[in-house]
Amino acid sequence: MSAAGEVTVGILANPASGRDIRRLVAQASVFPIAEKCSMITRLLVSLGATGVGRVLMMPDGDGIAARVRRAVDFRRPGDGVWPAVEFLDMEMTSQAIDTVVAVEKMVARGARAIVVLGGDGTHRVVAKACGDVPITPLSTGTNNVFPAIREATIAGLATGLIAVGALSTEEVASRAKALRIDVNGTPREIALVDVAISSQRWAGAKALWRSGDIEQIFVAFAEADAIGLSAIAGLVHPLARNVVGGLRVDLAAPEDVERSVLAPIAPGLIVPVGIRAIEEFGEDEPQTVAAAEGVIALDGEREIEFTSTDRVSIHLDLNGPWTIDIASAMDRAAHGGLLSCDRREGES
Amino acid sequence: MELSKENALRAYRTMKTIREFEERLHVEFATGDIPGFVHLYAGEEAIATGICMHLNDLDKIASTHRGHGHCIAKGCDVDAMMAEIYGRKNGLCAGKGGSMHIADFEKGMMGANGIVGGGPPLVCGAGLAAKQLGNGGVAIAFVGDGGSNQGTTFESLNLASVWNLPCIFVVENNGYAETTSPKYSVACDDVSDRASGFNMPGVTIDGHDFFAVYETAGEAIRRAREGGGPTLIECKVNRYYGHFEGDQQTYRGDNEVEKVRETRDCINNFAERVTSAGIVDASEIEEINQEVSQQVEGSVSKAKAAPKPEAPDLLTDVYVAY
Repeated sequence: MSAAGEVTVGILANPASGRDIRRLVAQASVFPIAEKCSMITRLLVSLGATGVGRVLMMPDGDGIAARVRRAVDFRRPGDGVWPAVEFLDMEMTSQAIDTVVAVEKMVARGARAIVVLGGDGTHRVVAKACGDVPITPLSTGTNNVFPAIREATIAGLATGLIAVGALSTEEVASRAKALRIDVNGTPREIALVDVAISSQRWAGAKALWRSGDIEQIFVAFAEADAIGLSAIAGLVHPLARNVVGGLRVDLAAPEDVERSVLAPIAPGLIVPVGIRAIEEFGEDEPQTVAAAEGVIALDGEREIEFTSTDRVSIHLDLNGPWTIDIASAMDRAAHGGLLSCDRREGES
Repeated sequence: MELSKENALRAYRTMKTIREFEERLHVEFATGDIPGFVHLYAGEEAIATGICMHLNDLDKIASTHRGHGHCIAKGCDVDAMMAEIYGRKNGLCAGKGGSMHIADFEKGMMGANGIVGGGPPLVCGAGLAAKQLGNGGVAIAFVGDGGSNQGTTFESLNLASVWNLPCIFVVENNGYAETTSPKYSVACDDVSDRASGFNMPGVTIDGHDFFAVYETAGEAIRRAREGGGPTLIECKVNRYYGHFEGDQQTYRGDNEVEKVRETRDCINNFAERVTSAGIVDASEIEEINQEVSQQVEGSVSKAKAAPKPEAPDLLTDVYVAY
């Protein structure tokens, strides 16, 4: 059990990320569990250095928990003060629901922040359950937009400073946008980056990489240097993460329209994509999809199969997860002297 | 990915036939009428079916000791398979092979195989033949998580890569090499990670999901046919029975199989999705269920009534004349 006043942080690392079909149809990277564990170890060092007393983690059968336990057990005196590491008591299914359950438990246990190691899909699932607890997104692979590839040591410092109250969430984190997908009037799922409507009928191998099948994309933000489907929008109509509004892009075969763009829709996969129309939409402007049937991809992965009897709408939600800006947090830490070790008067 | 109504019905019939065949063998083996060992494929049907749906008789597969599903998916005759398992003269291999050595070269089924890791070297040969003949054929090896640790598998991955052979290595990771979890016996995170060491793509997919298998296999097979070389596909899955019939399965968790059957069964989930999508009617599913049930029932009756090999048969099929 946690001691009174002990500061708790969650670390959520998805053991399953990074082995999908994009290794076959594109050139996506493989991110080894050993490196995820190394990142977690670096996070523990930083969280401990900032005064975090306890870290909650999801258990797993794929080697993350085992390696982290080993790292904790075999640390040496010079490794500094690490937080106590506790694996949550929960039943595992090796499905995305495990992440939801783990994050709910972290929130219930009073975690002040959650560091997420994974791709867009992992972050999407965490966002469904984290409520007002801020997250620190860390990418584990080359195929992601929402989380960036950052050094875990620094991410841990930024997270720790917020968790112990040296920095406030409001000053160094902001609410991400999200896209909510309603089916027949009921909220079904969310996406953090993009929602794509494909004319394919089946979720199949999940990842979406055939641009010819994609009829529409809806994006919460679109960056010109992104990889994936949001890059299509990012290269013709960039939209920042902190701007109110989303974007709908209607696609077409390049030969059927005047405007087209060469888009990097997966690592090592650059294809021409025709643009039929682009339109911004606001929070109170739900979008309907043009296709009568097909499959909906959330942040690049086909998840929802729908038929002509289903009504699908996309909504911009400005209350996505609180997302820690590591650069901003470290900048404030520097200006505020939060990591200062100056010798004070009277100290020898 | 596309799946026509005809192919959806075919996929369902194949998976259901495998399930019915295996569930029936589970019952029949306990009576003591079947010689040797049987290793049942129930629970893993989406893999054999999702892969073999893309193949023709020119394409070759090499199977494992758990081979009934691969045989059925590759088009082997169900009656002749059952007769073979019962050791009858009209079996696919004249009743001399039994469960672990069913083969049908005309269908491109090079054989179930009692040697763990025995299939991969065979498909390198078949892949080389297809490449030399230029007939567009591909060769698929099925191995388990245990077989993925064998030297034969490593050598084959290497050979297939350096010769750029049209081979696919399908690792059916059902969580146990006999009784040992890959968590204890496989040194890498996922078996698919081994592919990078042999300079080929490696993918891990849900082996319970026909659609994931079908699409992934389609891409890998197309790549191989086009000269793109080999691929390793790891399918994570659960087997519904023991390593062999009679295995007490004391190494498994409480209700482990029941939970999977309830929530992730490949056949139930497939039926639910194709009927929800309006591709297939529930009545068509029921019709297939009845036909398959009768087919397997008939195969058992015929096998039991068929003659066994006789003493002179011991001296035939021993040597091959070239």
